[in-house]
Amino acid sequence: MIVTWRIGLRIAIIIVVAVVLQLSFFSYLTLFGTTPNIIPLVAVSLGLLGGAMVGAICGFALGFVVDSTLFATLGVSSLMLLAVGYVAGRYREGTEISNTLMPPLLIGVLTVASAAGFSAIQLMLGVETQVSLLVLREIFVQGLLAFLLAIPFYPLIRRVLRPAIVDDVVAGRRMRTPISPGARGRGRRSRRRVPRMRRATGTS
Amino acid sequence: MYRKQVRRRRAVLVLLIVVALVLISATFSQSSGGPLHTVQQGVASVFAPLEEGATRALKPARDLVNWVSETFNARGENSDLKTDVQRLRSKLARAQSAVGENDQLKKLLNLDRGGTLAGYKPVTARVIARPPTVWYSTVTLDAGSGDGVAVNDPVVNGDGLVGRVADVTHWTCKVTLITDSESSVSARILPNGPQGVAEPEAGDPNVMLLDFIDQNEAIREGQMVVTAGWSNGKISSAYPPGIPIGEVRDTTVAQQQSYQNVHLAPFADMRDLDIVQVATNGPARPGVAR
Repeated sequence: MIVTWRIGLRIAIIIVVAVVLQLSFFSYLTLFGTTPNIIPLVAVSLGLLGGAMVGAICGFALGFVVDSTLFATLGVSSLMLLAVGYVAGRYREGTEISNTLMPPLLIGVLTVASAAGFSAIQLMLGVETQVSLLVLREIFVQGLLAFLLAIPFYPLIRRVLRPAIVDDVVAGRRMRTPISPGARGRGRRSRRRVPRMRRATGTS
Repeated sequence: MYRKQVRRRRAVLVLLIVVALVLISATFSQSSGGPLHTVQQGVASVFAPLEEGATRALKPARDLVNWVSETFNARGENSDLKTDVQRLRSKLARAQSAVGENDQLKKLLNLDRGGTLAGYKPVTARVIARPPTVWYSTVTLDAGSGDGVAVNDPVVNGDGLVGRVADVTHWTCKVTLITDSESSVSARILPNGPQGVAEPEAGDPNVMLLDFIDQNEAIREGQMVVTAGWSNGKISSAYPPGIPIGEVRDTTVAQQQSYQNVHLAPFADMRDLDIVQVATNGPARPGVAR
């Protein structure tokens, strides 16, 4: 991803919108007995689209904003989200994603990893009360919900960041270039000549 | 060039991890008025209007999604409810004979809301943000110090006790629910039952445990549990006495323990909080910071 200041602004808007949507909409929903969490989804999506650095930095920022708005322990969410953002980015840098189901699957798996890591940190920091086994259900159902939510959300984030995604820019140029044996490799001038030659020879 | 990029990437990653760890450690070690806390209050204040607007604007969409979800759950609940109806019929017969006695007990125990929160100034507030994880059982309200809300003020809704104020900005406050792992409430079983400490079971908002109840005490299912408002003159509970918390669901006695575990079902549905009341400007309670 080519991160210009405009793209940085778009990423910042994505982060703010994601946090507000999570705290004011998704946290109120109960699906399969669990609250959907789009915060890891956004961190992983940004990692998949922008690479390891973008994933890690955006994951950290997302975690910081979430922890601040909830007055929670600063750094816990940041640590987990920067880790999943980085892993997603590293995967993207090392592997060609050709299957459209691969991003939602990765988002689901990394959401489970993020929720499990978050629970582990909470337990390490000390929970004085008994812990219900429902926490395990919560972790896995959140992964499933993240997989389902990623199907519309990942393409949406990709669309917002399209001008910066190298693959999409190259694909866009290819789409605009007509693929014909005579036109290949001759550039714009040669392509203009084709109608003139047709006119001269009387072909339609 | 590539190696330089890799080195830079690793450096940024290590830096972010170190910053996260420092933040965790600093949050635990700092006092409530520390610089990080000020940063949190600043970020929360910036996001508060956005959260409030989004909460109001998205309410119809939330209700629609929850309605669809509840419709799916309704099938399973139907058979459970039939069993409940049979159980409740027999309970109703017993309850009707106890109504007269109950009225007297209410007066005796000062259970009615006016009496329980007498001396407090109620501030009605709306829930504007909730956490996405079961590990934090907190909510953010759209009332803050500007409305007279202070730390440790009790929060109730129409069903019973919800929690207490844990943090305040000018426009918002954070409420730690009674189902949060950091919460514990001194409680008493009615009508004349023993006192214990009601604590949550982390991860399950529908169950609380009432601890330190002697195993020889006879506790029955359905008995009401209210706040005890415990105080020894120097330290005291943040909650005034008599606020309904929940009802006894069942009891278990572990081997080689002198206490029995009393499981409670809270009256207030912590996953469906919308409008609540903060009891502000109440009488000073010894040892409770404000």
